[in-house]
Amino acid sequence: MRRLGVLILLALSFGFAQKVHLMWSGAITGPTSDAGKYYAQGVEDYCKYANEEGLTGGLTIVCETRDDQYNNANTQRNFEEALERGDPAFLGYSTGGTLQLKPLIQEVGMTYIPASYHIGNIDPPNNDYVFLPIVSYSEQVIALLEYIAKEKPGAKVALAVHPSPFGRAPVPDAKKAAKELGIEIVEVQEMAKGLDYTATLKRFANKGVEYIVYQNVAGPVATMIKDAKRLGLNIKHAAAHYAGGPDLLRLAGDAAEGVIWVTSYYMPYEDAPGAELVKKLGKRYNRPADTLESVHYPSGMLAAAIAIEAIKRAHAAGKPVTGDAGRAAVYAEMLKLGFDPGLAVGPVTYTKDDHVGVDHMRVLEAKGGKFVPITEPFQSKLFRKVHYGK
Amino acid sequence: MSYLLQLLVSGLVVGSIYALAALGFVLIYKASRVINFAHGQFIAIGAFTVYALVVYLKLNVWLAFGLALLFTALVAFLVEKLFLKPLVGQPIISVIMVTIGLASLLDGLIHLTPFGGGNFSLPRFLPEGGVSFLGVSVSYPQLLAVLLTALFLAGFGWFFQRSTLGAAMRAVADDQMAAMSLGVSVEHVFALAWAAAGITAAAAGFIVGTVSGINLESLVAIGLKVFPAVILGGLDSIPGAVIGGIVIGILENLATGYLDPLVPGGGTAEVFPFVVLLLVLWFKPHGLFGTEEIERV
Repeated sequence: MRRLGVLILLALSFGFAQKVHLMWSGAITGPTSDAGKYYAQGVEDYCKYANEEGLTGGLTIVCETRDDQYNNANTQRNFEEALERGDPAFLGYSTGGTLQLKPLIQEVGMTYIPASYHIGNIDPPNNDYVFLPIVSYSEQVIALLEYIAKEKPGAKVALAVHPSPFGRAPVPDAKKAAKELGIEIVEVQEMAKGLDYTATLKRFANKGVEYIVYQNVAGPVATMIKDAKRLGLNIKHAAAHYAGGPDLLRLAGDAAEGVIWVTSYYMPYEDAPGAELVKKLGKRYNRPADTLESVHYPSGMLAAAIAIEAIKRAHAAGKPVTGDAGRAAVYAEMLKLGFDPGLAVGPVTYTKDDHVGVDHMRVLEAKGGKFVPITEPFQSKLFRKVHYGK
Repeated sequence: MSYLLQLLVSGLVVGSIYALAALGFVLIYKASRVINFAHGQFIAIGAFTVYALVVYLKLNVWLAFGLALLFTALVAFLVEKLFLKPLVGQPIISVIMVTIGLASLLDGLIHLTPFGGGNFSLPRFLPEGGVSFLGVSVSYPQLLAVLLTALFLAGFGWFFQRSTLGAAMRAVADDQMAAMSLGVSVEHVFALAWAAAGITAAAAGFIVGTVSGINLESLVAIGLKVFPAVILGGLDSIPGAVIGGIVIGILENLATGYLDPLVPGGGTAEVFPFVVLLLVLWFKPHGLFGTEEIERV
């Protein structure tokens, strides 16, 4: 009888709990959906988990994942819909969508957490309300260059980047950092999807390239790595967050052995609380093995966790969490947010001047078909100097 | 010299894959004058069918390949019967819009399967490495691409030249009314052309999947990449599709090899073939081997 009473009470409290909507707009289909699909699942699952486990401070967070097909116009429509509904924060996705929306985000004062780690998202102008979950692409690539400079002083490096703002984002900072590190960036090659990269690789080899650093997506990188192996080239491969990970291993197979990769997230097979959470949620919500293996699943979880934490704290402070006042309250909480959901190698911290959540990353190396960490969590030494001049 | 040779050979290999993909496109256009914007989706269906049969049903890869050819042919056949047949005699723009809609529909259906997003890779069935000669290297999957393209070309060549059905298809391609008056079932021929296109699409999907992994977006992109190949070769010419595909493949590689170093960021392979295409079309508006139609008014 008592159990029934508790159940009724719980049901009632759930029914009467204030509902707060949180929208994610990203590519579940279309370009980059190989990442977006898992990212969306991460958002959905963390949201359900937070509601079920009472991590929402008595609120019911209604998460909605929308497929914008990597189309900025769709992202903007979704953003405007969330704004009109009175959502206090928005989870975005692409570099293009975020850069395009920045003036509007600034105008309406909506906290915006993209899946794109482009430094331009949080650089002026119109940068007050955009928050990166982890370190930027620029910092990732500079961290790789720092690692390379330590491993092979004076190394000759080529950058193979995606032909888009996403790919080009770290290039200027990487060039400055290479000068400081005494390594040579021999060439910057924009690299679209292709079936064969022999010509590019031969050219790199003729120029004495020893490392290729990728700011790209896994597909083209896998083909290039396989081609390099077939050609017998003595070139090492280093990948930024979206260029590496389990997807790369799946596509490149044995050729991926020895590839180094930088990311802030834990791998699901590691002994870490975040990795346990990934497994737990995947099991609870019947996600297939490929979801659990994907680094984009915890990425989506982290973005949702950040927004939910800020909403919860605003609510706990007795402030409204919807509409204009809700946006302002959640933003105020974002500026002093500090918590550790355990999904990445450091806590999430934001201030007015620091819009990067997890400030640390690790270098991992593909060994025996798995990415294993080969460094402790660290911050790039040079990034702030070359990007901000301090 | 070996650098140039490598670029040419790599271009030939990539071009063979484009040619194989373009073949199905031309088969449909040649028979029915329909430009099939959903060709990339058929390529994807072929690739994912092989993957599903090999990974989930643990079939031998060659058996899976054979079944995927049949399955994709069947899907293409049914698509023609369901969506294209009612449009016979309708303005060409309607038919084009239907194939664009079909591409979206098939995309959506594929997204309902586990293959919509994500990267997949066929279990390795070819030896590692490849063949080297004169300082040139070709991987076994790439070699397979060239062989399969040659095989399909020979097969379709024989089919069109020697078989009754092939002769009927050629007759319909030349003059539908005349073919019909001779008792050829044009509807039947249209559906068969789609089925044949499905077969070549599945073969192309299998090859792309073997060379660079299976991803819906990449496979669909290959379907779009055949456009410059078929326009260059001539929309209704099978040899033109092959030569167009190979020329585009070689131009891409030469651009990457020689033009990219001159252009900051490179990426000229995406543009250069189109520049050549424009120049060719300037002098040969119907492509290198396309039929020049003269309309008398």
